[in-house]
Amino acid sequence: MGYIQDKDKEYLKGEFDKNMKEEVKLLVFTGPNCQYCNVASAIAQEVAELHEKINFEEFPIDSEEAKKYNVEHVPTVIITDGDKYGGRIRYVGLPSGYEFSSMIEDIMDVSRRHADVSDEVKAQLDMIDKPVKIQVFVTPTCPYCPRAVRTAHRFAILNENIIGEMVEAVEFPDWANKWNVMSVPHILINEDVQFIGAYPDEQYIKYVVEAWKKMQ
Amino acid sequence: MNVGFVLPSTSRESKDVDVAIIGGGPAGLSAGIYATRAGLNAIIIDKGNAGGLAEDAPFVENYLGFEGLKGEELAKRFKEHALKYVEISEKNEVTEIKKEEDKYIIKAERGDYTAKAIIFATGTTHKNLGVPGEKELFGKGVSYCVTCDGYFFRGKKVAVIGGGNSGAIAAIYLKDLGVEPVIIEYKNHIMCENAYKRIIEDKGIKYITNAMVTEFKGKEKVEKVIYKDRESGETKEITVEGIFVYVGLVPISDLAKKIGVDTDGRGYIRVTQKMRTNVERIYAAGDVTGTAGQIIIAAGQGAVAALSAYEDLMLK
Repeated sequence: MGYIQDKDKEYLKGEFDKNMKEEVKLLVFTGPNCQYCNVASAIAQEVAELHEKINFEEFPIDSEEAKKYNVEHVPTVIITDGDKYGGRIRYVGLPSGYEFSSMIEDIMDVSRRHADVSDEVKAQLDMIDKPVKIQVFVTPTCPYCPRAVRTAHRFAILNENIIGEMVEAVEFPDWANKWNVMSVPHILINEDVQFIGAYPDEQYIKYVVEAWKKMQ
Repeated sequence: MNVGFVLPSTSRESKDVDVAIIGGGPAGLSAGIYATRAGLNAIIIDKGNAGGLAEDAPFVENYLGFEGLKGEELAKRFKEHALKYVEISEKNEVTEIKKEEDKYIIKAERGDYTAKAIIFATGTTHKNLGVPGEKELFGKGVSYCVTCDGYFFRGKKVAVIGGGNSGAIAAIYLKDLGVEPVIIEYKNHIMCENAYKRIIEDKGIKYITNAMVTEFKGKEKVEKVIYKDRESGETKEITVEGIFVYVGLVPISDLAKKIGVDTDGRGYIRVTQKMRTNVERIYAAGDVTGTAGQIIIAAGQGAVAALSAYEDLMLK
């Protein structure tokens, strides 16, 4: 028996059939002493089996691919077209609970090679011409977190200088502690600008622009 | 570790519908099912995930037919059920509503919708206590969501402010996670249902009554909660590393107010027994109407609102 229930699989199949356009790669990076690596890998595999355009690949943390995508923690799940998105849309830790829905939505956006934002937000995104890394600390039982994760990932889809990374704070307590994460979603941009909460795009982009401006 | 799965819904395009339901909690989801089954073309628009505050409830033991389950699980079932009938557009915040002739134009993040009727099932959000230190220490130990942030306090002592049902459930959830909670209640007696009172006693959770919290203290992080013993008048303090605030709810009714919907002094939408508001073809259901804050009541009101919309649109 798999992790995803049959009725959920049926639902997801329907959604994928409606929304999948181009090929998507689900890259899962695993390593030793990793409590959730097997689960992350199994879940990604089960999702990939639901549609022919979703391709699952697993790599060890010491592989060339891990270097190529700058993967440092396991499990890491990357959703990519294998080309322009590189490793910019990523999950460090298991995308379970509420974050499972984020992963599914990401797959469909990556497949469309597009994400939706308003014209105003797009104009601000277009200004970002230097690397900006948005990290979103979450817990799997936080209903507000997927919105913050998806915003980071949608921004990453729309601008090649942006990396959107979910970090599962329960799996990486030391990492969360380092940034004093005590309420989620906790958003950290370029390890500098921080805010807490699931804000609308218009407010979120202001923090991204602030971090970018500090690099000028 | 939770390896449950919350499924997404992927509606994107703008639409012309009979009824737009704003908010996808129990009231909105129930309204969606009833509206569609009655023959109306409906859409549910939610700024976050469908499920509403029910998702925050660590467990629910008073929804008919379910002896006890996580709020998250109940919300998931509601959503799956609703999805069989009605489209749900999630992570899609409504920003503006205008009336043009006999239609409502709804502007949202992911598109514009035209609707003949609107059901506000916008619910409530957690209320702030309003004491010094609360705002400053938010995210530094002050939280409004145990399911989100409880993990960070495992092995630590925290205060739960508010001893009603939500506070009691939050404290029980924290205790089960390995946190050491103490409940602080303003009133001079235990405010939660007997069912929770028993669990609190069994689990040895401390419940302080007759205490007015006056300040949250801490430099970088929460360090203390200060309260006044209302009986003795004495000021007391408890050393804690976290503070979870469960002192009630505030309605989310600003959008409704802007189109002339009448609210009471606290901002709850005024409705008739049939869930009609003072504005034609505008209805409200669930917690935003200020009734009990119970999932079963919200679901019932959602059904009533949808049936009223059906009456007004199809039978008049």
